[in-house]
Amino acid sequence: MAGHMRAHELPAPRARGIKYCVPEMLLLVPLVLAGCLQAPPPPTPAGQRVIVEVWSWNIAAGSLMALVPEFEQQHPGIEIRIDMTGAQMQSRFLLSLIAGVGAPDISQLQLVDAPKFAPSGALMDLTDRAAPYADKFSPSFWENCLHEGRVYAIPWDMGPCAVFYKRDLFARHGIEPESIETWADYIAAGKRMVEASGGQTRMLALSVSGLFQFFEMLMQQTNGGIFDREGRIIIRSAENVAALEVLRAILEADIAVPINTAGPEYYASFQNDTIATYPLAVWLGGSIKDYAAPTAGNWGVFRLPAVAPGGLRTSNLGGSVLVIPDQCQNKEAAWKYVEHVLCTKEAQIAQYRNFDLFPCLMTAFDDPLFDEPDPFYGGQKVRRLFAEDIERIPTLTRTKDWNEAMRYITQALSAWETKKLDHEVFLSQMAVKLERQLGREIAPGHEPVEGG
Amino acid sequence: MAGAAQHRGAFWSEVWRYRHFYLFISPFFLLFAVFGLYPLGFSLYLSFMKWDGLTAPVSVGLENFVMLFSDEMFYTALWNTLVIGLMYVPPMFLLAFIFAGILNSKRLHLRGLFRVGVFMPCITPMVVVAIVFTLLYSAESGLFNYVLRAVTRLFPGGPMAPIPWLESEAWSKVSVALLLVWRWTGYNMVLMLAGLQGISDDYYEAAIIDGATRWQRMRHITLPLMRPTLVFCGLMSLIGTVYMFDEVFVMTQGGPGTSSTNFGLYLFNLAFMDFRFGLASSAAYTVSIAVFVVSLVILKWRRPATD
Repeated sequence: MAGHMRAHELPAPRARGIKYCVPEMLLLVPLVLAGCLQAPPPPTPAGQRVIVEVWSWNIAAGSLMALVPEFEQQHPGIEIRIDMTGAQMQSRFLLSLIAGVGAPDISQLQLVDAPKFAPSGALMDLTDRAAPYADKFSPSFWENCLHEGRVYAIPWDMGPCAVFYKRDLFARHGIEPESIETWADYIAAGKRMVEASGGQTRMLALSVSGLFQFFEMLMQQTNGGIFDREGRIIIRSAENVAALEVLRAILEADIAVPINTAGPEYYASFQNDTIATYPLAVWLGGSIKDYAAPTAGNWGVFRLPAVAPGGLRTSNLGGSVLVIPDQCQNKEAAWKYVEHVLCTKEAQIAQYRNFDLFPCLMTAFDDPLFDEPDPFYGGQKVRRLFAEDIERIPTLTRTKDWNEAMRYITQALSAWETKKLDHEVFLSQMAVKLERQLGREIAPGHEPVEGG
Repeated sequence: MAGAAQHRGAFWSEVWRYRHFYLFISPFFLLFAVFGLYPLGFSLYLSFMKWDGLTAPVSVGLENFVMLFSDEMFYTALWNTLVIGLMYVPPMFLLAFIFAGILNSKRLHLRGLFRVGVFMPCITPMVVVAIVFTLLYSAESGLFNYVLRAVTRLFPGGPMAPIPWLESEAWSKVSVALLLVWRWTGYNMVLMLAGLQGISDDYYEAAIIDGATRWQRMRHITLPLMRPTLVFCGLMSLIGTVYMFDEVFVMTQGGPGTSSTNFGLYLFNLAFMDFRFGLASSAAYTVSIAVFVVSLVILKWRRPATD
């Protein structure tokens, strides 16, 4: 009852409130009018301009933006809008696909995420349009853009691997980078580096939580893998044992400092003497230039050491693709842009020159840019070095379960290292775990061994 | 029947009569229905489905729950959550209580400054905090190990050695717990301070006249009257620990191995890394029910003891 009474006392202040509001409302009128006048896009005299919205992240988005003016000049009917979406992009993209609305016309994806989206039916089938370019991209990359023989993504940049090193440290301690041809050579050089510097300089950064990345790099050199083309589990294999042997040898040589890749300490190390080399992908070069511009000229690159003499001296880490969601309204225009930026040599070369995005398009490799000396690396022709043998990198079949498998292996590698597990036992345990968690079968010849 | 109909009619005429007020409070209920109630119901539905978010959901009955209870990672995550909780909640409560006691003291100057100082950590964005702590914890050049090394130099032969805070399975939980103590002490302190300030001075004056010692006053006045506050803090900590996410995600990603994967991160991995929304929903519901039951038990102690 008390509430009832109070309720009836309210009207007076409410009326006053409205009165006070009137002048403010009047102030709003011009704003509202202005809003109404601006709302509809002015129709262009040359007919409708089609707008293509692209989602991308940091450097890659910048690279796409730089290509827009030229493209729009060639295609006056198309307007490209680049949306630099940042870290939330993948979940936003997923949500927009679930909702069936709100997806961009074109989106960038990590290469490893592409196989997750491809079977969904939410991406445009690019098979016919992409057919002329099928054999022009790096084969190990192209395979991961396919699902049941259909093309759902176009490769953009890739991450061929080599070893970045600091010239002054190598010179000071009398180590010849050219003499390092295998991982055994690398370890020997590392021991010399640590000894000669009195322990102040370590050969590389390698932390327990970052072992998977290194394993992934080595796995491609030994032609190992996690899944075969049918999606069956092949993790227990002699090839993967060979990769783990190298990894264990590096860890046991005590030449690594336990720093996480891509952490603040890692970036700080570009400018000091704690780490001598960085075995990683070409895109690390962009980070070094960003974080350690004053060290220009002191950097060099040597090819990734082979597992055995004469073995493959490259590998791949990372890379991305562009996809067109099926809900895109202007598929023709979207495809034209994708084709322009990814399937033409000129655009790929411009992206590599200006933004360090290494082209997946192999026809770009004969460009003179690849033979230009790079002053940042003391005049070394590093681009040619990275391009070498790319077509020999074996395909790592990812499947839609790649990220999940990667997490289990990352977790287990920590125990493999701390408990010094036997390689066969470890890989057998992983095979069983992946079989159970992913509901995939183990391929013949890769069954877990006794004790696993 | 007629009575019920009449009653219903009376109800709606009451609603109509106060329609303006209902209109004014409706935004909350609308938003709650869309962003609270609907997701709750939808995830209950999902917990009986297999759904990757992109293709159509498939009904699987109780299979998700069977899978959940046979997933060793589920138990590891719950165990880690429990261990981290036991590591940080007691010291945090003790510190919060001590700070609240100090700030409640009438002799203290600059009270506002200290209050802000202690409360600051929990309004600092978590990602920033986690990145700073990652630097502090660094095995090679972190501040904590720098201090440990300095101590070792002063007392050679002592047990102090650089600790691989984030790089070893043994220490990762401790590192997370330390961060949590730092971060949440201020929040609990403010709650406890409010609790302390709600206790009338009369009780203490009467007790002093009766010759009660400091400890007796604490034991028989402060603690019993603080009980509702402590229970509330306990509940908040329970829920916070189970669903904690960004601390672990930014600092350790649940590693090394699975040593710091708590339930919140486990849930995130299931749903947004593996796209197993059905399994994730069933895990969320299972643990929510457990949390609900434990909360009821805790709430039984909420009433202040008046004996």
